[in-house]
Amino acid sequence: MIEKNIVGQSVPKVDAFGKVTGQTRYAADLDIAGALHLKVLRSKVAHGLVKKIDTSRALKIPGVTAVFTHADIPGSNSYGIIVKDQPVLTNKVRFKGDAIALVAAEEESIAVKALDAIAVEIEELPPLFDIQAAMAAGAPAIHDNGNVLTVTKIKRGNVEAALDQAAAVVSRRYTTQRVEHGYIETEAGIAYMENDMLIIKAGTQNPHYDRRDAARVLGLPINKVRVIQTATGGGFGGKLDISVQCFLGLAALKLGRPVKIVYDRQESFVATAKRHPFIVDYTSVAAADGRLLAVKARIFGDTGAYASYGPATLTRAAVHATGPYEVPNVDLEAFCVYTNNSFSGAMRGFGTPQIAFVFESQMDLLARELKMSPLEIRRRNVLRPGSITATGQELTSSVGIAKTLEAAWARALEVMPGLGGDCR
Amino acid sequence: MGARAYKTYKKDEIKVLKLQEFCQPVELKKALDLLAVAGDQLKPLAGGTDLIPAARQGELKIKGFLDLSRLEELKGIKEEGREIHLGSLTTFSQLELSPLIKDQVPLLAEAASTVGSPQIRNQGTIGGNIANASPAADTVTALVALEAQARLVSSQGIRVVPVDELLCGMGETGIQPQEIIQEVFFAIPPPENRNGFVKLGRRKALAIARMNMAVIITLEDGVITRARVALGAVGPNPYRNQILEGVLEGRKPSPSLLEEFTSEAEQEVAAKLGPRPSAPYKREAIKGIARDLLSRLFFGNGQVVA
Amino acid sequence: MAAFHLEMKVNGELVAVDIDPGMRLLDVLREVLHLTGTKEGCGEGECGACSVILDGELVDSCLVMAPQAYGKEVVTIEGVAALGQLHPLQEAFIEAGAVQCGFCTPGMILAAKVLLDHNPNPDRQEIARAISGNLCRCTGYSKIIKAVEIAASRIKAEAGAASD
Repeated sequence: MIEKNIVGQSVPKVDAFGKVTGQTRYAADLDIAGALHLKVLRSKVAHGLVKKIDTSRALKIPGVTAVFTHADIPGSNSYGIIVKDQPVLTNKVRFKGDAIALVAAEEESIAVKALDAIAVEIEELPPLFDIQAAMAAGAPAIHDNGNVLTVTKIKRGNVEAALDQAAAVVSRRYTTQRVEHGYIETEAGIAYMENDMLIIKAGTQNPHYDRRDAARVLGLPINKVRVIQTATGGGFGGKLDISVQCFLGLAALKLGRPVKIVYDRQESFVATAKRHPFIVDYTSVAAADGRLLAVKARIFGDTGAYASYGPATLTRAAVHATGPYEVPNVDLEAFCVYTNNSFSGAMRGFGTPQIAFVFESQMDLLARELKMSPLEIRRRNVLRPGSITATGQELTSSVGIAKTLEAAWARALEVMPGLGGDCR
Repeated sequence: MGARAYKTYKKDEIKVLKLQEFCQPVELKKALDLLAVAGDQLKPLAGGTDLIPAARQGELKIKGFLDLSRLEELKGIKEEGREIHLGSLTTFSQLELSPLIKDQVPLLAEAASTVGSPQIRNQGTIGGNIANASPAADTVTALVALEAQARLVSSQGIRVVPVDELLCGMGETGIQPQEIIQEVFFAIPPPENRNGFVKLGRRKALAIARMNMAVIITLEDGVITRARVALGAVGPNPYRNQILEGVLEGRKPSPSLLEEFTSEAEQEVAAKLGPRPSAPYKREAIKGIARDLLSRLFFGNGQVVA
Repeated sequence: MAAFHLEMKVNGELVAVDIDPGMRLLDVLREVLHLTGTKEGCGEGECGACSVILDGELVDSCLVMAPQAYGKEVVTIEGVAALGQLHPLQEAFIEAGAVQCGFCTPGMILAAKVLLDHNPNPDRQEIARAISGNLCRCTGYSKIIKAVEIAASRIKAEAGAASD
């Protein structure tokens, strides 16, 4: 029977013993007899068409077992958590680091040598490194359906009418940067066949989705693929995407031998998702008493070469664009845009940290404009029970922001006694 | 569009370094004989904190390493008369913790204590810091202020070269392939001196200096009779700045001298960096580090006496 | 070139192995000796996941060529628990919730061990400095520091009890 006094108690983590003794096996720690080592040939150009891949020289190197390209993908050569737009091995390069070929060799150093021996002919296309260039009329399409992947719109009330009653209007453009998750464990895994069952063991945050996508690209029924999550050395959203899983599955399935892959730090940086960089044009409208009357925002997120979690990230950014403040009139549009940068995906907060930087900066600027304290303007606008959010939801309970604000202020005064003064 | 480009691909990192030789001599003479024959095919390896990643990135075209770690002749911190001699294998941790260094030349202990991380300080050496010739090498800025000299040995003999003359550009030194830095030595600054080091990094640990500065002043009857000022990460290598030294010499420490020094330092940095992207930031930042360091040396404890 | 004959002491035991001299100490520990508690995070001395104790000093084993360890004594995370009994640091890390993803944990514990071996009474600042070469990206530093404090007080208490 479960002891009911566990609730509310601090209990030791079940996996802590293995981790403090070094016994826990992460993906790169797994050893499997006879495993071939995999290495990925990645593009050094950001945008182009792969015209020819000559693997003959690589295949002649003793110890090289196989070289795979897009032509070797048995199923659909596309995966992705929301949009299936990312190939396992590509014939169109969309960012510096796109995977072109996969080498399997008896030793890691031989696999590295084989990468150098693969000749790739690429017809380069003009690369698009910023959102505006990608959205410009006539910009080359990175994907078939153009460069604007999704648009999320939230409209409520009448922003133009609110402007007429405004005591203060603040309009600013904000930009935020790309961020790498920097989990200390780089991506790694092994795979092998158990009779006709493909087993993939990898560090991941998403084994069920991995399984679906691996089955899809390998042309296998889903019940012939098992994905087992190993102990995972940090993810922070960055291990929600496919990284090594399909490479492992492809080689193990095709060769019938166990395979292993470990990214080094550089490959991890180059080949995996980042936090979306944003450009935000934001207008806040307030009355003389500090009450927010309206917000208009245009949010542009650079999802890079592939969608990954981009549509969700931009939707979140739009939904949270007014922050924890009640705004009766909103005109919000969020655009998820392809570029030839490394792809952006999930990272702690899904677009909310970026937009929080924006709406909180705006509150400070409005306060300055209205000669009001930054605390007071927030007090007058925070969501309370009964408030209606930008998306039209009436909040009935669990609205803690007002209490949080006061508690934070009290604590701030404790640790910084000189704080406040006239600004209370 | 349509221009065809043929790209070659190079993998950036190799798992196991392909070394044809790994020499581990236990006598300096043997090491020098090996180098005399091998020339630049054999790379002397000290702490390895920069060399090993560089070699693995394929940046060095070498056949092997000459591991210096067993050479007792390159070890130890000694006081000889009014000089301090540092074996080139002296680690940053040893410098940071040495009572002699802390007592006589705190700027060098301070510089060593700001390098990398505990691990890097346990591994990295003063000889390597010079040979690596990074623009931002922390202990080198202190050594330049101390007018330290390096004793270079080869099978052909010995030569002594001032550290700042040995540095000839980013990653470039006048050390010949068959030479090893045996030791670094410098005169202990005159009595009545005050010295210190300050570093500006992006964060406290594991930060390469955005800028660093070492200052030694000698006071006689309240007047600065001698000043040495070295700056790091402002040019290709740490260097002595005689204009800034001139600002201090013959003057009494005072808040106005401090302000004069900081504005002169700003101009020096501006002149040295020209239109580089980092210039606007560093012009501002130099004022902060100059003020921090000089107020500590002038008035103690970083408190500016109004 | 010919294999390098490496002899060293690892976690108290003499080890003799013939290795490729281009291997790092990290590679020998993980791939030859299968001591996979030592992790590779960056390969260039920035993250500290590969930290081991070499002749009493904390080093990044990715920055040590394996032959340089000849004749030296190496302690890895596998050598910290004595005879199946967890070290007070290991206990404290579990207790304080200082373990999240666990990938930095071996290096953190070794960094803390070197600190406590030299300074049984560290303050928070000294602890922070001692682990400043070890990155935790789960951002669990406060609990890690707390764990080191707990371990230090426990080691002191045990030493006190033993001398009574």
